[in-house]
Amino acid sequence: MGKVNMEELLNCALCPNICRCECPVLQVTGREAVAPAGKARLAAMLQKEQLDWDEEVLDAVSHCLSCRGCTIHCPFAELSLCDELINARLAAKAGGARLPQVEPYLANLKNYGSPYGQKNETAVCGEKGAEILYYAGCTSMANNPASIEAARSLFSKAGLSYQMIDEDCCGYPAEIWGDEELARRLAEENLRKMKESGASTMVTGCPECWLTFTGHYPEWGLELPLEIIDAPAYFLGLLKEGRLKPGRADMKKVSYHDPCIWARAAQKTAEPREIINKIPGLELHEASSSGEKTRCCGGGAMFQLSYPDTAAAIARRRLAELAEDAAIVTACPFCREGLLQENRQVLELVELLDRTC
Amino acid sequence: MSRVKTILQQGKVKQAVIDKFRENAADIVGADNISSGEIDLLSTCRDYWPISSIWMLEGAVPALPQLVVWPNTTEEVSRILALANEKKIPVVPYGEGSGALGGAVPLQGGIMLDLKKMNRARKLDELNQLVTVECGMNGALYEEYLNQNGYTGGHFPQSLRCSTVGGWLACRAAGQFSTRYGKIEDIVVSLEAVLSDGTIFSGRSVPRAATGPRADLLMVGSEGVLGVITAADLRIWPLPEKRHFATYTFDNLADGLEAIRKFIRAGTRPAVVRLYDAQETGNHFPELGDKRPGLILLFEGAEPIITAEAGVVDQIVSGQGAVDAGPDFVEHWLETRFNVSAASRLLQKGAVLDTIEVTTNWHNAHSTYQAMQKAILSEEGTMMASGHWSHVYPEGAALYMTVVGFPGENKIGYYKSIWRAAMKACLDEGAAISHHHGIGLHRGAWMEEEHGRGLEVLKKVKAALDPNGIMNPGKLGLEEVQQWEK
Repeated sequence: MGKVNMEELLNCALCPNICRCECPVLQVTGREAVAPAGKARLAAMLQKEQLDWDEEVLDAVSHCLSCRGCTIHCPFAELSLCDELINARLAAKAGGARLPQVEPYLANLKNYGSPYGQKNETAVCGEKGAEILYYAGCTSMANNPASIEAARSLFSKAGLSYQMIDEDCCGYPAEIWGDEELARRLAEENLRKMKESGASTMVTGCPECWLTFTGHYPEWGLELPLEIIDAPAYFLGLLKEGRLKPGRADMKKVSYHDPCIWARAAQKTAEPREIINKIPGLELHEASSSGEKTRCCGGGAMFQLSYPDTAAAIARRRLAELAEDAAIVTACPFCREGLLQENRQVLELVELLDRTC
Repeated sequence: MSRVKTILQQGKVKQAVIDKFRENAADIVGADNISSGEIDLLSTCRDYWPISSIWMLEGAVPALPQLVVWPNTTEEVSRILALANEKKIPVVPYGEGSGALGGAVPLQGGIMLDLKKMNRARKLDELNQLVTVECGMNGALYEEYLNQNGYTGGHFPQSLRCSTVGGWLACRAAGQFSTRYGKIEDIVVSLEAVLSDGTIFSGRSVPRAATGPRADLLMVGSEGVLGVITAADLRIWPLPEKRHFATYTFDNLADGLEAIRKFIRAGTRPAVVRLYDAQETGNHFPELGDKRPGLILLFEGAEPIITAEAGVVDQIVSGQGAVDAGPDFVEHWLETRFNVSAASRLLQKGAVLDTIEVTTNWHNAHSTYQAMQKAILSEEGTMMASGHWSHVYPEGAALYMTVVGFPGENKIGYYKSIWRAAMKACLDEGAAISHHHGIGLHRGAWMEEEHGRGLEVLKKVKAALDPNGIMNPGKLGLEEVQQWEK
C-alpha cells in the first residue's frame, strides 16, 4: 500500500480549496470537513499527531468518492488526494477507529469474497480454459446480472469462447474501508484463480475492478498473469473487426454518463462514444459536464453501501445534467445503480450493444 | 480529540447556553443541520488569511466556534438569528472561506452559520436581465448555470471556484473582468438580508430609485457585522459574441499607467486591464522577460464594438511607446489565472507571503507603488515585493502588491511589520487601504485612519442594527481586538 506524501498533502491542505466546486460530497453536504482541502487538513493533522483517530475523524476522511473531480482544477500535478485519503484511512484500524456501517460488508468480504454476501454460484460458466476470461465484478453480480448476460451474449454473437470463474471481489472495497490485510488476501486469491483459468486476456466491465487490477495490484507488488482490457475497448474492437454488427436500437436518443474512473483515471472517453455512434439512428446527447469533466453519480468508493443517502443525493444532482428525454447509458455498474432514480431508464453499455447486435 | 491550540480566542459562550440553543435550533433547521463535532468546528474556524495557514503548520487555529449550523432557507436564517440574539450568542456567517484577512475567525466562539446549503438560483429573468440567486451558491457553479442559459455574470474573482455569491457581496468583491462589467456593487441590483433580531428585508430590483439611501445595499461590504445576506438579484449579460486579446510592453510603469488613463478617458472599456511591473511580467510571462512592464488586455462583446475599442486602445498605447507582444500571453493568463499553488509550496518552505491591494488615483498611482515597495523591502527578511494594477476607473486603479519574505522564526512579527510598513506608505500617499479583499480582522486596525469620523458613523449603524453585538464580533475595525493589534 502507498505511503502518505506529506508534502503533497500539505500542498492541498494549504490551498484555498479551488477544486471545491467539483467535489460532489461537499456540494451536497455543505460540510467544510469533507471539502477536499478540509479532508487534507484533517489527514495532515492525523499524520502530525495533532489529532487522534476516532469515528468522527474516520467518517470525515472517508467522505471521498475517489471520483477525482478535484483533479479537474488541481494545480498540483503530483497530488492524488483520493489515494492520500486511502493511505490515511489505512492507519485508522491501528488508531482504533471503525466505521460501524461498513462492518457487515467487511464481514461479507471475509466470508463470501463479496461485500454483498453470498455469491451467485451460477456465475461460473462459459468454456473452461478459454482464452478470454470475463470478470464481471461483485456489483454487477449482485445488482445487475442482466449486464453479465448481455456480455455473455455478445461473446456468443461474436463467435468467441469465454469463461467466467468463481471470482472474488478485487479487493478495492476492503482497501478503502481500511482493511489492508483482507484486500491483499482477496487479491492473492483472485490471482490464483486467474492463473488456474489458463486465460490470456481478462475483460472487465467494472472500472473500479479495472483500476484495482491495473493500478493497485502492481503497487501491492502483485503481478498479473494475464492482459487486462476494459469492456468498452474490447467490444469496440469486436465492432471494428466486424464480429459484432449493430442494427437499429429500440430507442432514439441516449445520454452517455462518463464513469469517473474511465474518464479521469483511465482517460477512456472515446470508446463508449464510438460504440454508441456505430449504432444506426441513435442520437448521443452529451451532458453539460462530460468526458474528463464528468461529474460523479455518487457510486464511487462503495458510497452506495457506506453512505447511501449522500450517494443518492449526488446521483440526483448528476441526473439533472443528463437529458430527461433520453435513456441513460453508462459503462459502470455503480453508476447504473446510482442513476436508477426518478423513473429514469439506465442501461450499461454492454446491454445497449447487445440489444442492437 | 485534537491537540490543536487556539491563538486568538477571546472567550466562549457558556456551554449550558449553547446546549439549550442547540436544542431549540434543532426545531428550526433539524438536528442533522447542527454540529458540535470537533471535526466540523476545526474545519469551519478559519479562512484563507495567510496567518491561519502559518498557524496550521504549527498545529494551531485562530479560534474555534462552538456550533456549526447549516440553514436551508431565509426563514431558517431569520429564526436562528432571532434565537441567537435572544441568548446573545455570537454568529459568524460563513460561505466558502476564501477571505484573505481573517474575517471568518470566530473570535468569541458561538455559531458558525454555514450558508452553503442555500445554493439555489431562484429565478432567471431574461427580459430584465436579472438572476435571483441564494447566498451560498459557489461562484464557478453560478457562472456555469448562467452559461448554460446563454449568459455570464461578468464577475470572476481569483477565488471564483472557492467563493460564494454571498461572500462576494459581503466582502465587496471585484472580479478580473471588472473594467467592463463592474465590481459586485455595480452588479447587484437588490438583495435580501436578515438582521440580528431576525428581521428579513430586501430591496426592489428596479434600475434605480430616488427613495433615500438603500437599506439593502448597506449590506454590501458589511462582512457579516450588520446581518446575513441571504439572496441577491444580480445583473447578467448575454455571453459575449467575441473576444479580442492584446499584450503590450512599455519602457517603464509611468508610461503604462498613462496609456491606461488615456484609453479609459477616451471611453474604451476592455474587460480585463492588467499592468504588471517588470518583475511580475517576468514571473507570469517568462517569454516577455523581466525588464519591461507588461500590459494584458481582453476585450469582449459584440464584434464591431470590440474591434473599434481595440483599435482606439492600440492607437493610444502606441503613442505612449508601447511594443505590441501579440495575443498569446492573454491565453496563458486565462489558463493560469486561478492558480495559487505557489503559496502552498512557499509556506512549506518557511515563507511568509501575502497580497496587499489598495486603491490609487492616477495622481498617486505610481508613487504609491514606489512607496509601498520601498517600505516592504526595507523590512528585514523580505525577498520580493512586486505589483500590478487592475480594475481600472476614469479616476484611478487598484494596485495589488505581492509580498514574499523569509523571516526565520518570527513569522508573525514579520507579517505585522510588512503590513504596518505597507499601510503607512499607502495612507501617506493618500491611497485607500483596500480595493477588494476587504477588512476582516487584520486590516481593522487601520479603519480609523481610513475613515476618520466616518468610522464613528459605521459604529452607530452597527449599534442600531445589532444592539447585542452578536454579528461577527471584532471585524471591520468596529471593535478593538486586543489579541491582534497591528
